[in-house]
Amino acid sequence: MRLHAVEHGHRLPQRLKLLLIRLVSMRRVPDVVKTLFYRPEFFGGPMCDWTQAVMRGPSLWSVGERELFAAFTSRLNQCLF
Amino acid sequence: MENRAGRHAALTKRLLESVLATSGHTATKLRRAVFARAFGPHPLTTLPLSPPLSGTERGTGGEDIAPDLAAYVDKVAQHAHKVTDEDLAALKRAGNSDDVLFEATVSAALGAGLGRLERGLSALRGEASPPDPLSRVDPHPLTPSPSGRGGTQE
Repeated sequence: MRLHAVEHGHRLPQRLKLLLIRLVSMRRVPDVVKTLFYRPEFFGGPMCDWTQAVMRGPSLWSVGERELFAAFTSRLNQCLF
Repeated sequence: MENRAGRHAALTKRLLESVLATSGHTATKLRRAVFARAFGPHPLTTLPLSPPLSGTERGTGGEDIAPDLAAYVDKVAQHAHKVTDEDLAALKRAGNSDDVLFEATVSAALGAGLGRLERGLSALRGEASPPDPLSRVDPHPLTPSPSGRGGTQE
């Protein structure tokens, strides 16, 4: 993570969630999750709602197909997530 | 054909308003200019933005953005994987806080993403669309060749 605030500057509720994720998964929390949890009222909250509707909401495409589109797009963008 | 905003208009509007219209560490004017610059060359009239982007914001979008920040915005929008620690360090040395850079990065990413979505949906609708800014960069190694295109055969 290149921005210190997004790596370590979360408020207490988000910090506790990140700790829980780390303990349960026993691995480093992905940067994208830290980004979504940083000032969630600004970006992460509405972005997660939007993503949930697009990726899991009613659609002609199955969830698997949508995930495949997302993975392929990320690959084209050279994004590991 | 359904408008791009379509079924998810309310969620898109909420996301745009949150990122571009709420108070933050940067002026909303700057965030809107960053968004418009990253969005690229396409009419923004279909976006559920209130108020709609002004002519200046819909132009180059560079008038209100410092040159170093504008270069960073272009990098995020066109090839985010090339952003380096040094890019951020230089912007911080120039006086930008983490929160300023966070807001600028989110605005740029949102603009770039929605711009591509809009151009893609325009193509599906058969509308003429200005060239994608990405077409100015080198072909990506994963660019499908005409002989090896994907898709289903029906």
